[in-house]
Amino acid sequence: MLNYTLRRLLTVVPTLLVLIVFSFYLMRLAPGGPFTSERPLPPAVMANVLERYGLDEPLHVQLFTYIKNIVLHFDFGPSFSQKDRDVNDVIAQGFPVTLTYGFWSAVFVLACGIPLGIIAALRHNSFWDYSMTGLAIFSQIFPNFVLAPIMVLLFTLSWGLLPGGGWNGGQWEYIIMPAVALGTSYMAGVARLTRGSFLEVMSSPFIRTARAKGLPERTIIIRHALKPALLPTLTYMGPVFVYMITGSVFIDVFFSTGGIGQDFIDGAYSRDYSMLLGLTILYSLLTFTLNLLLDLAYAWIDPKVRSKL
Amino acid sequence: MSLLSIRNLNIRFRTGDDYVHAVNDVSFDIAKGQKLAVVGESGSGKSQIAMAIMGLLAPNAEASGEVLYEGQNLLALSQSQLNRIRARDISIIFQDPMSSLNPYMRIERQLGEVVVQHEGLSRRDARKRALEVMEAVQIPDARNRLTAYPHEFSGGMRQRIVIAMALICKPKLILADEPTTALDVTVQAQIMTLLDDIQRDLNTAVMLITHDLGVVAGFCEDTLVLYGGRVMEEAPTLDLFDGPGHPYTRGLLRAVPNISDATATLAAIPGSPPNQTRPPVACPFAPRCVDVRDACLEALPDLTGSRQKRACIRPVEELT
Ligand SMILES: Nc1ncnc2c1ncn2[C@@H]1O[C@H](COP(=O)(O)OP(=O)(O)O)[C@@H](O)[C@H]1O
Ligand SMILES: [Mg+2]
Repeated sequence: MLNYTLRRLLTVVPTLLVLIVFSFYLMRLAPGGPFTSERPLPPAVMANVLERYGLDEPLHVQLFTYIKNIVLHFDFGPSFSQKDRDVNDVIAQGFPVTLTYGFWSAVFVLACGIPLGIIAALRHNSFWDYSMTGLAIFSQIFPNFVLAPIMVLLFTLSWGLLPGGGWNGGQWEYIIMPAVALGTSYMAGVARLTRGSFLEVMSSPFIRTARAKGLPERTIIIRHALKPALLPTLTYMGPVFVYMITGSVFIDVFFSTGGIGQDFIDGAYSRDYSMLLGLTILYSLLTFTLNLLLDLAYAWIDPKVRSKL
Repeated sequence: MSLLSIRNLNIRFRTGDDYVHAVNDVSFDIAKGQKLAVVGESGSGKSQIAMAIMGLLAPNAEASGEVLYEGQNLLALSQSQLNRIRARDISIIFQDPMSSLNPYMRIERQLGEVVVQHEGLSRRDARKRALEVMEAVQIPDARNRLTAYPHEFSGGMRQRIVIAMALICKPKLILADEPTTALDVTVQAQIMTLLDDIQRDLNTAVMLITHDLGVVAGFCEDTLVLYGGRVMEEAPTLDLFDGPGHPYTRGLLRAVPNISDATATLAAIPGSPPNQTRPPVACPFAPRCVDVRDACLEALPDLTGSRQKRACIRPVEELT
């Protein structure tokens, strides 16, 4: 398992390298640049600025310098649009915010989705099952960018229960709406998936064997059925994490959390090359880490997968 | 008193607006240490009888009659009452060893949890017992293989583990539902020998469900023949083979070229299985019977006789 983890970690390096090179050139293909504005700068000033940020060098030299600085100093360079801040500062400030509500959102997705799915399965074809399944289908059609405004409308504007945005050091009132808005449709997906896989596992021959052993139903569910029923959910979580990362960009902007999503969007508008590239690397590292965790969880549950690692 | 006594057992399954009448008015006894074979073609209700004994019938099943184990009617017990009997008094070996073990759990745990549950052993003592039964079913290198997972064993070895699981509490009755059907021919013989040895050691009663007459011949002193969920004939195995008293049994034996040929199956009689959407009102085998008479289609034959019981209105002498 350790071996496998190390091998996976090693594959990050080439992957990241390819990603950096691609993104680097792609961004430069887009028209405009960080210092183009409606009233063009006087040529002398422009030359000065470009030199200061190293943008006067040939592209491949810029790329090489960029990578060198990351490898040697873990330095993602200065922001081209936010004065006196470099990308490292922006990440240090914004990333913990995004990560915090993202974490709680994932907790919400799993801690609500899985039990709801199991409860629906245990009482399947009952009133509870139907209402749960109905609710799940209903919530799945509310992606975060639809749910967020509705929640603000209700909880902030109508009832005044929760603040409609901001972060305030990450107090729970500020976390709750971003986390729930980001996660709800996936929570519903997890519930539906868990219900289905749990029902399937409960009708499998090895559960019949467990019954024939005279084990109480609770033991059968917890000891024999839970782990295998969660395998499809784990598989589902791979893409879900990616959607949630993408969704967090919207959530950061909509709720003005101060998370990195806002910087990412600003960076795109102002052609802030270093900001965009730095955050792209960060997002992909996050995706990679989450997927590695999922794969390890998968191996932990399924001995057949484990023996192949 | 017999160990298990099945009285007028009926099992039907609701499917939409219809019923499937899978088991119809079946009665038989199993004494302590007795080995009874239950034979019949696929769909004749063999497995459902075993499921009724274990209390594991599907949710759409309705069972009536009595399944008396040491005098108490298992059909009337709650799940938690049944849990005290399952595995401890009556255990079952399912047909497919590939799917009847939990693929996500170590073998020692799957074996051990049975004695933890029923005898309150500690995990450590349970592991010791698991090792004992693993050795009893002759799994090579048992000590080191306790921590393995099911997929690390071959089919034959897995079936040995399933057998080990069934006998770990030394039950008084083992229901073996086609224990060798899913296995290679050579492995089949080994598994049957093993079952035979274990049965003799523990003096457990065994109800062996099979459609393989070759297996029956070597293992069970008594045989019960089912057709369409009804008992056609019940007799000591040797008598039955020497002088089958029911046209269906005769057909079966004729379809088997050689009793000791372990691959012989029961599918060789012309015609198709009975329609079970209604409870039988006449002999269910009549439409396929070579000796059929008008009377056969009009009333249900009783199961009569003492040593060799048969459900056929025609005298044995008249059968072809
Ligand atoms: N859950 C169920 N619903 C409807 N019919 C069933 C169900 N389980 C079994 N049956 C029917 O009961 C009959 C007897 O099945 P079974 O005892 O498994 O046969 P076998 O003798 O091959 O073991 C078959 O016709 C089968 O289709
Ligand atoms: Mg069967």
